[in-house]
Amino acid sequence: MVTREEQDLAVKILDEKTNRQLLYYLDICTRCGICKDACHQYVATGDVLYLPASRAQLIRKVFRKYFTIQGKLIPSVVEATAPNDKLLEDLYRASYACTSCRRCMYYCPFSIDTTWFTSIGRAMLVAIGRGATILGELADAAIMKGENIDMFRDILIEGLKDTEDEFKARVGDPAATIPIGKKGAHSLYVALAGTHTILPMAIIFHQAKADWSLSLFEAANYGYFYGDTARAKKIAQRFVDEAKALGVQELIISECGHAYRVMEFLYEAWAKEKLPFKIRAVVDVMHDYIKEGRIKLKPGSLLEPVTYHDPCQVGRNGGFYEEPRNIVKAVAADYREMTPNREKQWCCGGGGGLVAESEFDTLRQVSGQKKVEQIRKTGAKVLVTPCENCRLQIEMLNEKNNLGIRISSMMDLVVESMDLPGAKPA
Amino acid sequence: MADELKPDLELDLKGLLCPLPMVRVSQNITKVAVGGIIKATASDPGSMADIPSWARTTGNEVVKTERDGKNFVFYVKRLK
Repeated sequence: MVTREEQDLAVKILDEKTNRQLLYYLDICTRCGICKDACHQYVATGDVLYLPASRAQLIRKVFRKYFTIQGKLIPSVVEATAPNDKLLEDLYRASYACTSCRRCMYYCPFSIDTTWFTSIGRAMLVAIGRGATILGELADAAIMKGENIDMFRDILIEGLKDTEDEFKARVGDPAATIPIGKKGAHSLYVALAGTHTILPMAIIFHQAKADWSLSLFEAANYGYFYGDTARAKKIAQRFVDEAKALGVQELIISECGHAYRVMEFLYEAWAKEKLPFKIRAVVDVMHDYIKEGRIKLKPGSLLEPVTYHDPCQVGRNGGFYEEPRNIVKAVAADYREMTPNREKQWCCGGGGGLVAESEFDTLRQVSGQKKVEQIRKTGAKVLVTPCENCRLQIEMLNEKNNLGIRISSMMDLVVESMDLPGAKPA
Repeated sequence: MADELKPDLELDLKGLLCPLPMVRVSQNITKVAVGGIIKATASDPGSMADIPSWARTTGNEVVKTERDGKNFVFYVKRLK
């Protein structure tokens, strides 16, 4: 049972997070209900808790209780509530289930940003020890790696050996290396954990004759998903400090939608500093290499019908609609667009940290049905998308719904359509 | 020592990309008793840093790691 101290702490967080934007959102919502048709989770489940306006209403109830005269005097009349157990349980489900896709914001006549509410909801829950456990564990493990990099450096480099051998073979250059800690490099590339986003980009950087260095850290930011800005900042700061120490001109974020969003749109406000280098999404970098003729793709080399899924954090929230499409169209003989697309595209259902939270597995399956319908209608056999969370989610949807498609990253698609001296290992 | 490392639960995490191997270990740790051991086999090299980091921050312990061909094997002891 929630204690008075925990309630006070949750309210303190709400107070700290309250700004002009939140006050506007709290005030302006007319509960017109247009957002009900925009949320993939509400459309799929009909559960009112997933209605974007309802997610906001939970925060509004607490705000009214503590920060309005009416809420203090006549709480039941104005729907003002203390953060009791029922409200906190609802807040957990409403906040942590939200994929932060912001499709509702696009449809809202007042552009109310539901993620503003879900972020505050998560922060309130984290403060009182009710945050999503696995997201907290993932965040803490990432911070631990950052604080003890000397302990992990050799392990990480050892893990790259097989990848580097394959890289040399693929580009036919025995002297090729995957540079780490290269002072003065033009770009620092931040991959995902593991090597699956390192090998293809090493090949692309090599063929483009790029001056790059590989970060020792992974791009994913579970502190952001957890709802804890302090943890999120620490996780991002690992490679910000690395980039500063190397003196790079740009920081390239791998195919990870939220990681790009954190760095491009949030980090500077958190850190209260202007970064001395540019933040770039890897899909934009690949697009430039193709446009500038630094890498050559074989037009029409992919014969199977191909479709493209706009990751929410890359498209609607990142601004990249045409660059990834241009890349896919450069190699696809038969490109098929999903409908709706671009800013109106349906979320796949896996964002916001949900792919790591087993408690939402069923919701992910159910709420992914809009995406399943969209994919089926295209008749595509290959789906390309530049976001790891989207790929994991769509792979699950593919398996559960027998879609029979192959899911590819953008960088794998690019490498497959390049003429490389070395053959791909069997 | 050999008895100590007899796993109480084995997890085949081959083919899973990080951080999912760490997520699966976390989800399964309470399925063994305190003092029990999970043997987790992963293929993603990222797990070499991920799983030990997770163990340290959650108060558990990786008591042994080994290579099995291209795979990485972790013996994780539940400490609390």
